[in-house]
Amino acid sequence: MARTARGDAVRRAMGIIGRALSYVVMSLFALMTVAPILWLLMNSVKSTPEYRLNKLSIPRDLAWVNYSGAWEIGEFSKLIGNSFIYTIGATLGIAIFAIMAAFAFAKIRSKATPIIYGSFVMGILLSIQSLMVPIFIEVSQFDRLLGTLFQALHLIKSADAFHLFYNNRFGVLLIYIGSGLPVALYMSTAYVKGIPDALVEAARIDGAGYFWIFRGVILPMCVPIATTVAILNITGLWNEFALINILVSKTELKSIPLGVYRFTGVMMADYGKQFAALVIGMAPMLAFYIVFRKQITKGVSAGAVKG
Amino acid sequence: MARGLSTRGEERRAYWALILPAVILYLIVMAFPIVLSVVLSLSNWNGGQLFGGERWQITGFQQYVRLVKDPQFWLALKNNIYIVIVSVFGQLPLGFIFAYLIYRKIVRFGDFWQGVLYMPAIISVIVLGIMWNMIFSSTGLISDLMNKLYANRFTHQVERIFAAGFTVNDEVVARIVAASDPKALTIFTNPVAELKDLLLTYPPDQLAVVKGDLANLLAKKWTPDFLAKQDVAMLPIMFVVLWCWTGMYLILFLASMQKIEGSILEAARIDGAGEGQVMGRVVLPLLSGVMVNAAILCISGSLNSFALIYAMTGGGPARVTQLLSIYMYENAFVGAPNFPLANAIAMAIVVFSIVLIVLTKLAERRWGAKE
Repeated sequence: MARTARGDAVRRAMGIIGRALSYVVMSLFALMTVAPILWLLMNSVKSTPEYRLNKLSIPRDLAWVNYSGAWEIGEFSKLIGNSFIYTIGATLGIAIFAIMAAFAFAKIRSKATPIIYGSFVMGILLSIQSLMVPIFIEVSQFDRLLGTLFQALHLIKSADAFHLFYNNRFGVLLIYIGSGLPVALYMSTAYVKGIPDALVEAARIDGAGYFWIFRGVILPMCVPIATTVAILNITGLWNEFALINILVSKTELKSIPLGVYRFTGVMMADYGKQFAALVIGMAPMLAFYIVFRKQITKGVSAGAVKG
Repeated sequence: MARGLSTRGEERRAYWALILPAVILYLIVMAFPIVLSVVLSLSNWNGGQLFGGERWQITGFQQYVRLVKDPQFWLALKNNIYIVIVSVFGQLPLGFIFAYLIYRKIVRFGDFWQGVLYMPAIISVIVLGIMWNMIFSSTGLISDLMNKLYANRFTHQVERIFAAGFTVNDEVVARIVAASDPKALTIFTNPVAELKDLLLTYPPDQLAVVKGDLANLLAKKWTPDFLAKQDVAMLPIMFVVLWCWTGMYLILFLASMQKIEGSILEAARIDGAGEGQVMGRVVLPLLSGVMVNAAILCISGSLNSFALIYAMTGGGPARVTQLLSIYMYENAFVGAPNFPLANAIAMAIVVFSIVLIVLTKLAERRWGAKE
C-alpha cells in the first residue's frame, strides 16, 4: 500500500515537471514564431539610421514613409492586381476542374479510371519545383511553335512577339491550376465517393443528363470540399515564387512575392524600406489567416499538403 | 437494348468530357515536362527552336557523367540531405510531440499554440527567407547584438583602467592593449607606442569620447565567419526549415489523433501506462500510416525546397549552402544556360525523391505496425 502511495506521489511530481517542461518548450517555440514577426513590424516603421543604431529599440518617430517608398521601389501597385488574378483564377480553376474529374472518377464507371486517377495520385508526390526547367522550356517552345504556325498562316506578323504561355497570365494560370490539381483531385474524389450513388441514379432514371446532374446535384453538394480545396490553395498561390519567377519577365505580369524579392541581399541597404516591403509581402496572408484560421487548419489536416 | 447502348455512349462521352480539362492540364504541367526533361537531359539541345528548327540530337548520358564528377553536385546533394534529415527527424517528431501534448490536454489553450505555431507556413517564404537573413547575416541582428556585448565589456574595462581619471602613461596603454582584441591590434605595427600617441591627441576632459572611439577601434568584433564554412553554414537554414514547417505537422497529427477513440487511451491509462508509454505504444502505432505519408511528403518537399533558401542565402556565401534546386536553377537561368545539365539535375532530384520514398515504404513494411 505504502509503495503504491509513494509511486503515485512520484508519478504526480513527474507529471507536474513534465507539464512545466511542456509549457516551457511550447512557449519557446511560440516566442520564436511571434518575436521575429513583431520585430519586422516594429522595424518597418523605423528610419534606416535608427535601425542601424539599434536593431531592437522601439521606434521613436514612426517613419510611415518607409511604406510609400517600398511600395514604389517594389512597384507593388502593378503587382497586387496580378496576385489577385492568379490566386482567385487558379483557385477557381483548381476547385472546378478537380470536382468535375472527381465526379467522373467516383460516379461513372470506366476502365480508364485506375490508370488516370493513379497518375494524378502519383503527381501528388512530384514537387513541381523540380520541373521548373522543363516547364520553362515547354512554355517558351509552345509559343515559338504556335507563333511560327500563325505566321505561316498570315495571322500574325512576327512569331517572336507571340506569347500565349510564356509572359502571359493565361500561361501562368494554366501552370498554377495544373500544379494544384493532384491534391485537390484526390481530396474531391474521396468526397464525391461519399455522396450516395442513389442520388445520381435517381436523377438518371428521371432522364437527367450528366451535365445537368453535375450542375444540379454534385456541384451544390460539393461546396464544402470546394471551400476546403480553395482555402488550402489560396495561401500557397498568393505566396508562390519558384514558378512565377521563371514564367514571366515583364513587371506588369509579376506578383507580389517577386516584388518582395527585389529587396534581397546587400543590394538593398535601405533597411526601413526593406522591412516595409516584407510587411507588405506578409500582411495579406496574415490577415487571411487571422480571419479563416479555423478553416485553414481544417483544410490542412484534410489535405496533408506538402512542405 | 438500343437505349442501353446509347446510355453507355453518353456515359463514356460524359466521362471524358468531365476529366478532359484535368487530364490536359496534367499532361501540360507534369507528364510532358517529365518526358521533355528526360529527353533533353540526354541531348545536346541548348536553346533555339526545339520543334522543327535547328538540328539537335540525343547524345547519351554525358550530362549525368559530368554531374557525378562535379563536386558542386555532391555538395548540393549533401546539403539537401541535411534538410531532409532535419525535416524527417526534426519536424515530424516535434510536430508529433506537440500534437500529443495538446491532444492529451497536458498543455492547455491548444487552439492558441496551434494557431501560433502554424503561422510561418502561411507567410511567403520569400519574406521569411529575407527576414532570417537579416537576423543571421554578418550585418544582421545576432551579429549586432554580439558586437554590442563585446563593446560594452570593453568599455567597462577601459572605465576601470581610467578609474583615477584620464591620464595617459605606458602602464595604462599596456593595459588597454591587453584588453583589446589581438585582431584589431594588427592595425598598429607597435601597439603601445602608437596607441599612446593617439590617446595623447585627446583633450583630458574627453573621456567619454575616448571610450567610444576605443571600443569602436579595439573591442572584439563578432563576425559569423563560421557561417561561411561548409556544413556549418547549413545550421541556420536547418533551423529555419524546422521553424517553418513544424506547425503544419502539428496540425496534421493532431487532426489524426482526434479521430482515435478515447476508450483505447482510457484503457491504457487504467492499466497503469504513463503518458510516455501511451504516446509511444498506443498513439504512435495508431498513427503510423499518417506518419509514413507525412514522411513521404516531407522528403519530397525538402528535396525540392527552393524559394526559402534562395531568398535567404541564394546558395551562398561562395555556394556553401548550395542545394540541388538552386544548382539546377543556376544552370538554366543564370548566365549562359546549360539546359541539358539543368534537366539532368531535375531528373536526379526526381530519382532521389523516388528512392527515398521507396525506402520509407520499405521501412514501414519492415518495422511498421502490423495490423
